[in-house]
Amino acid sequence: MLFSRRLMLGLAMAGSMAGALAVPAMAEGPTEIDLFFPVPVDGKLARDMGTLIKEFNETHPDVKATAVYTGSYDDTLIKTRASIKAGKPPAAVIMSANFLLDMQIENELTNLDSLIAADGTTKEKFLGQFFPALQGNAVINRSVYGVPFHNSTPLLYINADKAKEAGLDPNKPPQTWAELTDWAKKLTKREGDKVTQWGIAIPCAYDYCGWMMETLTMSNGGRYYNEEFGGEVYYDTPSMLGALSWWNDLVAKYKVHPPGATPGPAVSTSFISGNAAMMMLSTGSLTYVRDNAKFAYKVAFIPRNVRNAVPIGGASLIVPAGLEADKQKAAWTLIKWMTSPEKSAWWSRATGYFAPNMAAYKTPEMVDFLNKNPDAKTAVEQLDVAKPWFATYKTVPVRKNLEDEVMLVLNGKKQPKEALAAAQKAADETLKPYNAETALKLP
Amino acid sequence: MAATMRSISRRDEMSLAEPAALPVAASVAPRLHVLKRFLDRFKASLPAYLLLLPSLVFLALFTYGAMGRVLIDALYQRATPKAPVRFVGLDNISAVLADPAFTGAVVNNLIYAVGTAVPSIALALLFALALSRTHAVNSALRAALFLPVLIPMVAASALFLFIFLPNVGLLDYYIGRLLPVLPNWLGDPDIALYAIMIITIWKNAGYYMLFFLAGLQAVPEDVMEAAHLDGAGPYQRLRHIILPELKPTFLFVTVIAILNAVTQVDHVFVMTQGGPSNSTNLVLFYIYQQAVEHYDVGKASAATLLTLAALMGLTALSFRTLANREGGP
Repeated sequence: MLFSRRLMLGLAMAGSMAGALAVPAMAEGPTEIDLFFPVPVDGKLARDMGTLIKEFNETHPDVKATAVYTGSYDDTLIKTRASIKAGKPPAAVIMSANFLLDMQIENELTNLDSLIAADGTTKEKFLGQFFPALQGNAVINRSVYGVPFHNSTPLLYINADKAKEAGLDPNKPPQTWAELTDWAKKLTKREGDKVTQWGIAIPCAYDYCGWMMETLTMSNGGRYYNEEFGGEVYYDTPSMLGALSWWNDLVAKYKVHPPGATPGPAVSTSFISGNAAMMMLSTGSLTYVRDNAKFAYKVAFIPRNVRNAVPIGGASLIVPAGLEADKQKAAWTLIKWMTSPEKSAWWSRATGYFAPNMAAYKTPEMVDFLNKNPDAKTAVEQLDVAKPWFATYKTVPVRKNLEDEVMLVLNGKKQPKEALAAAQKAADETLKPYNAETALKLP
Repeated sequence: MAATMRSISRRDEMSLAEPAALPVAASVAPRLHVLKRFLDRFKASLPAYLLLLPSLVFLALFTYGAMGRVLIDALYQRATPKAPVRFVGLDNISAVLADPAFTGAVVNNLIYAVGTAVPSIALALLFALALSRTHAVNSALRAALFLPVLIPMVAASALFLFIFLPNVGLLDYYIGRLLPVLPNWLGDPDIALYAIMIITIWKNAGYYMLFFLAGLQAVPEDVMEAAHLDGAGPYQRLRHIILPELKPTFLFVTVIAILNAVTQVDHVFVMTQGGPSNSTNLVLFYIYQQAVEHYDVGKASAATLLTLAALMGLTALSFRTLANREGGP
């Protein structure tokens, strides 16, 4: 076991760090801690993380942190859980923000309240540094379990050149579903029955699909899940029915959206190549679009039907359960340093995520950056209407219960109403064990 | 006379005594013998065991140990998230068998196994027959056909992800001109599994070709010449000499192809994650989902046991058939 773990860590480090962070033989002194980090988007995130941790180690001689690349968000959850089971948890993990509740239910997280109190501050003051929209995924039962590290919201991306071509003003982007439908119709080009340019593309693959359904449902006035209790989702509701029906209409009725389930990278490639004139995608793709689009583009808020509302995405820093006190303290030092305004701002510029720490936007480098890249500002402004990311007991299977049905609808195999009824039934079944010991456990 | 009698009787005595003594001797000497033989044998093979020891330790740790653990885990389950795990016997197995996602994965896997094994073996045979003679051109062609084997499945899947990209991918770029509606190769539950199968065939045909090339070397030259002299045409030679000679190769490659169909799911991970709507969910990926997404070790272990049992049954059956065939006329 020990051997395989070391080997695994060794390989993972060698692969991602390329020797930049080779562990020197340490006799005594600094507390050695591991930080598990995922790379959920394309790009040079692993290298940036190496730079960040190197700087931390240089400025904190009493702690020796090692960054361990652990794959995607899902892989990071697996590896963290495996390490906890093996009794050797990492000191800190960058964990997808909507996995926190499930981990807390499984007793895998350290409650951070006492660490915050030990610093002589209050929970309110500590959380007050971050955008309010991010707190919902970090606080469980009024205790802090995570510290927001990098976050995103969905955005509407518009090919400004194609919009002008179609006689639309890209400086007045569509604000409602009605306007967006109209834009999409005008931006769709056909040769006979064949579509040569799609008006809009919305991604639907596992993970992205659930997030997009939450986006559309929220802008239709809905909630998707119970923010206060992990045992309920609202799939078979008018707000979600409206959302899925509209998405289905874009595909089947207006034929302005490509049929079937299309993953995020396929959607962004389609947009970059000019095959789709508009797309809904994460702010995390903004840097990619900025670097690759050979045309003028615009980003805008997700249009509303009932209200402007979007979910957040991204990841928080967590401390796994079952850690020695000195490592816990060292991890806390690292977490506070990584989420400080300066580091938060630097990471945001490097990756394209927005910085969760509000003070990051007051640093001179950030003010300068936003002046040069006004599109990065839209994501931050949209945070005023952002809400937490769905998180339930067994988040992934419950999300998949919905996604499988949505994919059937987008492929024309089911009608929205019956699909959502089936999704609700399946999700209720998945949530049953948790409800049995919470809401349905009666005296 | 008396002396002879005595001597006879003594001889008789002896001959009588001997069998009486024999069991004693047999009960001591052979036992010593067996022990000695065993010790001798052990001494002789001690270096071999020592050499095997590292492998045995690692096999015990990572293969047999893990299998034992799976067996134990399959028998335990927890009722609610905070409840302790308890012994449930075969409940996990029946839960897996009752899960429509599992039966769906089994059906997908059967379609996938047949749909990848048959075309890739047929292609492999075709390639091997066409390229059986060794010269420069054939060597180059063999290398080209073998190339996909050298590309890791994950890298190949990432490549095909771009080829299958709807509207803008290579496939749609060329085929798109001919079709009225562009298919969403990986996003349509009716097509996705077949798209995945194409990669597997592309990747494995070259590998199986190697086995058939080796098998063709074993076809006796004199029989072929005799058939030639008797005026057998190319088809007759193929039908009555080459194919019967290749039977063991066929059997071996079929087993390998089926094992591959169960154990290779890298492309499912990379390309579809079992979607859309579980249409490309294969058994191994189902196990991964149970263990990781549902965090249900009991059900994952039960599904693993069922898969292992099926694979071992299949392997045993095929090796018996293989032995029968080789033992028979």
